This record gives sequence, structure tokens and C-alpha cells, in this order.
Amino acid sequence: MHQLGLMIDMNKCIGCKTCVVACRNHHGIVDHENCMPGEIPFYIRVESLTEGTYPLVSEHCWVVPCQHCKNAQCVKACASEAIVKDPQTGIVRIDADKCAGSKACIEACPYNVIQFDAVRNKAHKCDLCHDRVVAGEIPVCAEVCMTDAISFGEVEMLRQTALDQGREIDRKKSAMSIVYLKPTPKNTLAGV
Amino acid sequence: MVQDGWHPTVCYQCKAECAILAKVQDGRVTEVKGNPKYGGKACVKGMAGVTLQYAKDRLTKPLKRVGERGEGRFEEISWNEAFDIIEEKLRSLYDRGEGHKLTYSFFPHSLTDPKWHFLNAYGGYINTGLPHCDSGKIVSEIKCWGGIPNHHIPPAWFTMPKDGIILLVGRHAFGCLDDACVPRDIMEAMDRGAKLIVVDPIFSPDAAKADWWIPIRPSGDTALFLGMIHHIIENDLYDKKFVEEWVREGDFDKVKAHVKDMTPEAMSAICDVPADDIRRLAVMCAEAPAVGVDGFKSIMLGQALDFGHAWSIFLAITGNLDNPGGQPIPELTPLSPVEPQPPGPPPLNEMGFHRTGPNRDAFRNYSFIMEPTWYEAQAIKDGSLKILLVTEANPALTEMGSKEWQKAVCMKDANGEYMLEFLLNTDIMLSETAKYADLVLPDQTHFERYELLYMPWWYNFGHGVLLRQPLVKAPGEAMHSNLVFIEIGKRMFPEYFQFKDDVEYYDIQLKGLGLSVEKLKAMGGKWSPGTMGFRKYRDGGFGTPSGTVHLYWEDLEEVGQQLPRAILAPEYDADVEEYPFIMISYRRIHINGTGPWSSNNAQLRDPASGQSTNPAILNPAAAAKLGIGDGDTVTIKSRTGELRMPVRLTEHIRPDCVGIMHGFGATVGRVAAGAGHCDNELIPDAGSHLEWQDLIGGEAHVSTRVRITR
Repeated sequence: MHQLGLMIDMNKCIGCKTCVVACRNHHGIVDHENCMPGEIPFYIRVESLTEGTYPLVSEHCWVVPCQHCKNAQCVKACASEAIVKDPQTGIVRIDADKCAGSKACIEACPYNVIQFDAVRNKAHKCDLCHDRVVAGEIPVCAEVCMTDAISFGEVEMLRQTALDQGREIDRKKSAMSIVYLKPTPKNTLAGV
Repeated sequence: MVQDGWHPTVCYQCKAECAILAKVQDGRVTEVKGNPKYGGKACVKGMAGVTLQYAKDRLTKPLKRVGERGEGRFEEISWNEAFDIIEEKLRSLYDRGEGHKLTYSFFPHSLTDPKWHFLNAYGGYINTGLPHCDSGKIVSEIKCWGGIPNHHIPPAWFTMPKDGIILLVGRHAFGCLDDACVPRDIMEAMDRGAKLIVVDPIFSPDAAKADWWIPIRPSGDTALFLGMIHHIIENDLYDKKFVEEWVREGDFDKVKAHVKDMTPEAMSAICDVPADDIRRLAVMCAEAPAVGVDGFKSIMLGQALDFGHAWSIFLAITGNLDNPGGQPIPELTPLSPVEPQPPGPPPLNEMGFHRTGPNRDAFRNYSFIMEPTWYEAQAIKDGSLKILLVTEANPALTEMGSKEWQKAVCMKDANGEYMLEFLLNTDIMLSETAKYADLVLPDQTHFERYELLYMPWWYNFGHGVLLRQPLVKAPGEAMHSNLVFIEIGKRMFPEYFQFKDDVEYYDIQLKGLGLSVEKLKAMGGKWSPGTMGFRKYRDGGFGTPSGTVHLYWEDLEEVGQQLPRAILAPEYDADVEEYPFIMISYRRIHINGTGPWSSNNAQLRDPASGQSTNPAILNPAAAAKLGIGDGDTVTIKSRTGELRMPVRLTEHIRPDCVGIMHGFGATVGRVAAGAGHCDNELIPDAGSHLEWQDLIGGEAHVSTRVRITR
């Protein structure tokens, strides 16, 4: 097992979106001179869920990057064999030179995380900062996260860490290479 | 300008000014991250600074108004012509002996800003470009324990011990107007066992992480704290040792008598927090090893000085001054003065000028050193504000009563001359304020300019100064406002401007630390021994005249504010039937504490990475009674304004409130124009209804009563 991945601690994600902007900057996917809101690609997104009614309310946030799936649907869908699951790291990467721009991967991805560059006619997405991790650094999102809600490592070790901390993994959010730690209940003193 | 690679500098996407590293590649800034030597975090605004840097909207040449103020029509001029115009206008007022009728609205970066040096030479006044967001707290801390008169000093959360209490009262600490390390520090304190309690009418991202969200009635904070103080005293839960040793003799008894009838039940009726909850919170705080309180919006929701006072008494009687996790009391970093030092303007309370002009009596007890922005419109009308300089602020949009401000700057006298003789705006891009300016000067971003920064709230990381340094070239002819006013200073007051440029000015200040800009640069742009010092008062007492903590303010006896009043802001108690909701103006991280450069930043207005719109938020239960559905367009009407805007239903807000996120409604800018709605349309100009203002604490409200109809 060589799979690298991220662990998202839903106790700590505050939904600030710092990771989104840092990721875009690092991967050079923003046309700073001309970009307009709603037109900028993103490799990671933030989602949130509110439960309960006033005043017993709770809200949780989490980030959704490429899940670097075990049997990635995008790999299977790509007729030009441009998408490869790296045997050393488990990172799913798109080879831009081979990408024919069919968008089949985008349709196949159950997590809706693949972007399309219409100008270059290429699909592109999170590669877990492959260039950084092979040089011994951690992915940008994990480095910049304001609350250290994102950690990086071999998935088996991340799961072990969760176990050691007595935390429960949310397998509904992902059973792939992104480990989501269920939030512990908040606002517990309200209405006591 | 610099070699490729990561360079230390300081963010200015907002007023927090976090230490960052910026990556430069082929002469362009490409990435930003937190500087590990100073906490190591930067927020989403800081990251999006790269988009600001290369935005098409950047100003590149000086612009002179053609046509009327407000039309926004300009012609490009040379810097020489711009300097001549500024000099002529400023000399004209100064030579008439009316230098005190000039106000400069800028963020002062402590006393290290050369613009402040110019202002002192001229004899004009400063406001911070903010509605004095926390001056009530500052004034109360000065009066109570002789605190440092500069902005808010939040607790150093990383010093919070196990089982300590983090009490955020109307303070959106995760919104990064404090340092970007604050959310991480709070989370880590919680990992150690500290409790996070958030008191706020709105369920903020902080509340989402809290152990307890207390959705208080807006401006009920003073009552909440007085109820807690009552319970703590009546049940002998106060820190007797601290009170005996360090509270001025007699003051505690006066507080005890004052709160005698302020029972949790009585205070509950005012603040709408259940009495049992007031008692429970009081006991938790009294028993905790440390309590840190930070507040911001609370004091802007009204009665700022009363709340600051109640909060200060609470900290003192629970022994939470200058202790780990409690309220820090900073010392000043020993910088050197730039000699000769200009004398500065006459004390505000000695002058019959704009703040105190026609309302001089009402303001006679006002003691803070800066002017409230909200009085500008009134000051223009009464002829006591003649020149307004604005740098990196946008009063035409972002201040309450902005419509009144726009009207005032366009008013003319009998001769057809503008009553405000000169309005100068320096900024990175055009703003609403620029539309009214006579001259607009292209400013430089934080990646292009030098600044020596010394912020007391960095005290959280120990004493320190940081260097902002140019990493890339500015576009066109953009020039930093500091250099503009050093040039004007040299022309008008050469005796006070005997230094070459900004770098030499900072070199002089750094002599106090045995440093220079070059040395500081070589050290990685940071000087700090990392010391805070706890309970420093044990060595020399507090900074008050008696050296002890003053809970009772005899100087305010004549206005009945010698001890905090348990009242809601009068504005909220009036016209309840006609305007049943309180509109709360709230902030989120993406444009918190920023200027036009952030509301016009594509990444910060992008739906994936920022905040693209600002529908009014309303509780579903309240909406159901009005027959309003999610996404409906409603009319929100206040006593002075009206907005037609979409509504989003959410459990995140009290049913008697409606929330509008601040920072939207811009009319200028490729990205910002036309997006969202401006909360200030609803908020009256504070100077036009002084009877509802806190004339001692200096706050203007950021909220008001409204009616909602379909």
C-alpha cells in the first residue's frame, strides 16, 4: 500500500477557503489580470451542512479535493489513457499531453472535482501537489490551512492517527484516499 | 526587484497586517503564505493578494477631477501638477490659521507612519477610516488600568491554560481581523481543554465551533456582564486577593452597590439571555483558571463605553488582567522618535472645531485621540472640516450614513464653491470615495512599498516590529501615500522633514532597537524577543494615576456614566412597533477589515473561494410569520433608508434580527460593481442623531431598527 492522501478534521475546518486560493495560486490556474468571479477553475471546494433549529444549531464544513480513488472512474473513462494512478504514490494524475479533451472523465467523476480548460482543450485537477510531495513537501492546502484541519500522509497512517485520537471516520463522505474525521458535537452547553 | 524565491513581508489585505512570505518568480508575485517566524498563518484575503497585484483596475497615474464631484470624471495629470495642487490647497487653509480643519483618514500603523508626522506638523487630525470600531474598549481600558491607547489587544489565546474560558462577545475571531494565527490558537487551546463561548446574535463560524452559542439581543452585552458581575459578587466568587491588593480602595464597594439590583433575572429581561444561563456563565468564568474576552461587533451595536466598562470590571474582579489567557497589558516597543518632533494639533477638547463645533457641549467628556468618521458630514456642513484626505478607506460606501457623507461633500456655499474645499483620495484602485475626490493618486500595494510596522496587537506574539518591503515594481506611476506626504512635508515643513525618504525615516525609528532597515531586512524582516511578561503590574503598578485599577469613574459622574448603565442602545428601544427587526451588519473573512481592493478582488468575490453575494439572512420562523420564502425579494426599510434585496432563510440568526453582510453594494470596479447590497443604505448618519450616540465612547452603530415587507 503506497497510497498518499489527506485527512480533513471536521472539528477544525472553519470554511474559510484559504486552501482554495492558495491551491489556485500554486498551480497557476488563475488569470489574475482578467479573471471574473464564477469563471475561475478550482481543484478544491468547501461544503457545509447546518443541522438543528435556532438556538440549538450546529454547522460543519469540509473541503472536497480529488479523492484519488482506488479504482478511479476517470481513469476508466479516459479513452486516450491520459489519466494514470501513480503506482508509487496512488496519486491520480492527468497527462496534459495525452488529454484529448473528451470530457469523459468529468462526466465519470462521482465527486465532481475535475476542471476543464476550454482554451487548451484539456481536463485538469488536483494532483495532490505531486511536484511538492515527491520533493518532500506537503500539499499546499495542508500547508496553508489556517486551523491545521488538513493533514497529509499515507492513508493507512492517517487512519491510524484517527484511531489513536479516538476519532470516528466519516466513510459516507469518502471511502477513498481522503479521510474525513466526523465532528464531535458542538454547542453542547446550550440548553443544558 | 528581488531574486526569485520566498521573501518575508507583511500583508495589507486587511488591518490585521499578518507576517507573510511572498513568492517571487520572474519579477511577479505568484504565491503567499504565512511566515513561520511569526505564527505561520495567512488567511484567504492574504492569498488573494496576488489577484489584487495584477488586477486590471489598478490606478497607474494621478487623476484630476473634471466636472462635478460624484460624477467620477477625471483627466490624467503629472505628479508635479498633482503635488502643486496639493501644496496650494493645503497652504491656503494653513495660512488662514485653520490647520485644525484638516482631517486625514488613514490606518496609522501605530506611530511609525510618516503621514502621522505630516499631520502633526500641519496641526490636523486623524481618523482611522473606521467608525472607531473599538474605541469604547480602549477608553475604558485607559480609564480602568491605564492600557495602551491603540486599537484592540485581544487575549493571547495560545497562552490560555487548560480549562480556561475563551469568551468571544460579538467578536468574529475566525474572520481574521486579528492575526491569521488566531483561529489556530483558539482551536489548540480547545484541544488543551479550554471552552469556547460565543455571544452573538448571529451564529458565526466561531459559534459553529463553540461549546456554547449564546444568541444575545443586540447591545445586551452590558446587561449580560452586569448580571454576571452581580452573581459573582453576591456569591463571593470574585478574586478577593486581586481586588484587595490592586483595585482602588472604595471602588469595589461602589460596584457592589451599583449592581445590587442587577440580578440575573433583571438583566435577562434586557439582554434576553436566560437568568440561569447568566448564572452558569458567571460561575464557569469565576471558577476557570483564566478568562479571555474579545469583543468587537458587540461594542458597535451600541453603548460602547458602558460595555467596555462592564467588561473591564468583570476582568478585574475575576483576576484576569495580564495573566496567561487573560487580558494582556502591553508595553511599547522602544522605537526612537524622529526629531525634531512636530507639536501635533491642539487637544480636541480645547478646540471649537468639527467634532465639538455646534455640539461642543455634548462632546465635552469625549477623550479619545482620533475623530469618528461619522461626524465628517456634519463637520462639512458647519464649516469646520475644510480639507479631507483619504488613504485606503472608502467613507462614501463603507461608513454608516454614507449617503449623508456623499451629500455633504457635494454641498456648495453661496459663492458656488464646495464647502469641503479639497478632497484627496489615494488608493490602489478607484472607489466610491474617489468619485467625489478632486485628486486621485495611484497608491502602491503591500508588495511594492516599504513600511515599518509596529502594532500593539502583535503583542500576542511578544513585542515586535515587522518590515514590509518592496518585492515587485509598481505599475505605471503608482507611488505610496507615505512618499507623497513626505514630499508635501518637505515642501511645507522642511524643518520637520530633514530625512531623505521613508527608509531613512524608518532607520531613525529603528535606532531605538539598534537596527536599520537594512539590518532588519537581513534578519528576515522581524525584530521580536518574543516576550510578553505576565502580571507586570506587580513591579510598578498599573498605568492609572493611583497605580491601581479604577473601577469607578468620578470624571463621568455629571453624565451619569461613572459606572456602566444596563441599558440597550436607545435607538433599539425606540419605534419597536413600526420597525420590529434589528438589522445587524456582519462581517465574514473574505472582506473583513478591508478596502475597495478586496471587494473588487475576483478571488474574494468568487463563489468557490469567496463571497459572491450578500442576501439578507432571516430566521425561518420570523419569515413564516411574514409569508416570506427562501429566495424571495423583500423590502427592508429603516428610519432613513430602504433596500430591495433577496433573502436567505437560515437558523443562524435570532428571529428578531435580519443580517446583512457588510462590504457589498459597490458602484465602482470591474468585479465589485453591482454585486450585492450595501447595509449602509439603511443606517442613518450618526452625527445627525446625537441623542442616540455614545458621545463619550465614540462608537457609531453599524445596525439599526428596520421593517421587512414582501
